[in-house]
Amino acid sequence: MNDFSELEAELKKLRPRPVSPDLSARIEVSLAQEAAGRGVATAGVLPKQRKFRPNWLALGLGLAAAATFLILARVNVDRPSKSTGLALLTPAPITPTAKAVDSFVPAAMTQVVYDTKDEGLHFAEGKDEPMRRLRSRKRETVQWKNPQTGASLRVTYPTEEVTLVPISGQ
Amino acid sequence: MEDVATHEEDWKSCFAELGPGLVLFARQFVRSIADAEDIVQDAFVRFWRKQHSVNDRGLLYATVRSVALDLLRRDARRARREATASADMEQITEPQFDFDDGSQRALAAAIDLLPVEQREVLVMKIWNELTFAEIASALSISQNTAASRYRYALAALKKNFVVHE
Repeated sequence: MNDFSELEAELKKLRPRPVSPDLSARIEVSLAQEAAGRGVATAGVLPKQRKFRPNWLALGLGLAAAATFLILARVNVDRPSKSTGLALLTPAPITPTAKAVDSFVPAAMTQVVYDTKDEGLHFAEGKDEPMRRLRSRKRETVQWKNPQTGASLRVTYPTEEVTLVPISGQ
Repeated sequence: MEDVATHEEDWKSCFAELGPGLVLFARQFVRSIADAEDIVQDAFVRFWRKQHSVNDRGLLYATVRSVALDLLRRDARRARREATASADMEQITEPQFDFDDGSQRALAAAIDLLPVEQREVLVMKIWNELTFAEIASALSISQNTAASRYRYALAALKKNFVVHE
């Protein structure tokens, strides 16, 4: 270590630059704040205030889902009642109510029967005569169009229909 | 120095004695006096708040070092900039010392060329007068490692200082 004694002496002659005078004042303020808010250990970092920031993506998706739901709900209400007759392909009931309004209106409906099963005789309540029960499985496709914009919407869903056919006594 | 940590009124005298050395130590991690002072402020307030004994200087310097490293970790870009500045040493940094002559300027420049692990030991030993035991405590290393880093630093300084003298 003696080899470095001169060097150590030279190093000790170097004076670190003085601390800026406001550092002491800043520490005093920090300690005062610390004393005032003792018990809340924030380590000098104030908690961020929470700000309300809308999530536009979630909002848009929610509105789109709501609009789709409203459209489908309306169609379910307006859907024509099912007839008791069976057909392999039912022509679409085109509604001529093409009002000049900016909304979707039902444009077509298709029913495809892909399975019919005769489930035999069935005695319905309050009836003396037996009836034949037919179970049909179909796929319905409903289409809406917006007459103004030309946009269309199509929904396909499976259905199952049970039909009771009276049997004549002959 | 007596144990004054429990007396809040005494922090000024304590800081007046330790402040310049603490800022110089913090400067080994950052390249501006402003950043070093921010580090020392944060560390000193934390240390004082915990009511640690000022006699435990190893812990005080360990707190400064921890705050400095946290600052560097928080800002990766800043860390890269500091590393680049350390590597280049194009004298774009603020000087750490006041100079009387060109010889001292050359010596200060030679200090800047040391690796940080040697510089921090040198700063604690020369300008803060910590023992190797305290340095080892601050850096979580053995006393032998602290002493050898100090010797390596002096050897490198002697070599570089002679070249620049």
